[in-house]
Amino acid sequence: MRLITHNMLQCHVKGCTKDNFPLKLEEIEIEELEAEFNADFIKSMLNRLDWKALAQTTFSLGIAQLPEEMPEELSDEMLEQLHHILLEIDITSGRMVCQGCNHVYPIRNGIPNMLLTESEV
Amino acid sequence: MEKANIKRKSSEIEEEEIKENVNKKIDTTEKEKINDENKIGKSQEISEEEKKEEHFVHDVYEAIAPHFSDTRYKPWPVVDKFLNDLQPGLIGIDVGCGNGKYLGINKNVYIIGSDRCSNLIKICKERGYESLVADNLSLPYRSDSFDFAISIAVIHHFTTPERRREAIEEILRVLKKGCKVLIFVWAFEQDRKKYDEQDVLIPWHIPKKKYLNKKSLNKKDYTESEKSEHLVKYERYYHLFKKGELDDLVDQIKIGKVVETGYDRDNWYVIAERI
Ligand SMILES: [Zn+2]
Repeated sequence: MRLITHNMLQCHVKGCTKDNFPLKLEEIEIEELEAEFNADFIKSMLNRLDWKALAQTTFSLGIAQLPEEMPEELSDEMLEQLHHILLEIDITSGRMVCQGCNHVYPIRNGIPNMLLTESEV
Repeated sequence: MEKANIKRKSSEIEEEEIKENVNKKIDTTEKEKINDENKIGKSQEISEEEKKEEHFVHDVYEAIAPHFSDTRYKPWPVVDKFLNDLQPGLIGIDVGCGNGKYLGINKNVYIIGSDRCSNLIKICKERGYESLVADNLSLPYRSDSFDFAISIAVIHHFTTPERRREAIEEILRVLKKGCKVLIFVWAFEQDRKKYDEQDVLIPWHIPKKKYLNKKSLNKKDYTESEKSEHLVKYERYYHLFKKGELDDLVDQIKIGKVVETGYDRDNWYVIAERI
C-alpha cells in the first residue's frame, strides 16, 4: 500500500466520526519501489491529498520531516522527495489503528483488510 | 523523530494479537446494545440477505477467483473510454475491481481497486495494482475526496433494491461534488439469452484439476457426478436489471443524478454525477 492510498483511508466503524483520520500506521514493513518521476503528477496528487495527515504520517514513520503546511512553492528537490514518499514506498505489512475507536486494520502481503465485523457496520 | 519500525517478519503477522485488539475495542455493554438492536425489526431480514450474498456471491468468488480471472481480460469499450478520457493526475476508485482488469488502463491517473473477495485482490496485488479488501456498502474512504469511480458488474450482486441503492450511494459519498461514477449492471433484456425472472442463479463451471486445490474441494459438498467429472459447478446470484431500473435507483439518491445512460453488450450502464 502506498501512502497516497493511506491518505484517502478513513475508519468506517459505525459511529466513529472523531479522530478517524489519518489511521496510525504501526509495526510496518516497507519495500522500496522505483517509479518514474513526473512533477505534474505529484503536484496534482498533492492538491488532492490532506497535507497535514501526510506530514504527520511521514513524521511518525521516520521517513521525512515535512513542513506543517504545504509550501506554496515546491522546489524540485522537494518534489522529488515527495515523489519518493508517495510512489516509491510500499507498505507490505503492519497495521492501521484508528485513533478514535482503536479499531485495527491489518495489512498483509501489501493488502489492507478494511472489512468490519457485522456489529461494527 | 521516532525511527521507523522497519523489520522483516514472517508473513504470519500476529493474527491472534490483532483479533484480540479488535475484540477489546468494543466494550461489552456496547456489544449488548448492538445485539439488542439486531434482534428487533428489520435486522433479521438483513442478515438473511447478507447470508444469501455470502453464499451465492462472496464464497463463490473466493472459490473461483483464479479461473474467473483467467477469463477476464478484455476491457469493455465504454469503460475503456471513460477511463482514458480522464485528465492526468486524478485520483479514483474501482469498487468491486475483481482481478483488476481496469486498474491499469490509464497509467496517468491514480486508481485504488477494492473488492470484497480477498482472493481476487491477491491477484490484483500480484499484478502490481494498488488494491485493498473492502465492502461496497461501507467504503473505508474519506467523503468528498475522489475525482472518479467505476462500478463494473457489481451492483447486480446485491439481493434487494435497498442494498443496490445503498451500494451506489456509498460510492457517490466518497466522490467530490461534480465528479462521476460509471456503473455497469447485467441487463434482463439480453440479445443471446432470455430469462424468465430477474433474480437468478447463474452457474459457473471450473475445470477441477487446474484450478481447485484440496482445501477448496473439501469446502464444497460435491454431488456424485461432480466427483467423477472434471468440472465443478458454482452458482452466483444476479439481479438482472430492466431498462430504466438503474436510472431509477440513482434518481432515488439525493446526492446523485444521472448524466448519461446506455446499453452495451447485455449490460445497462449509467454515468452518475455527485451533486
Ligand atoms: Zn474508528
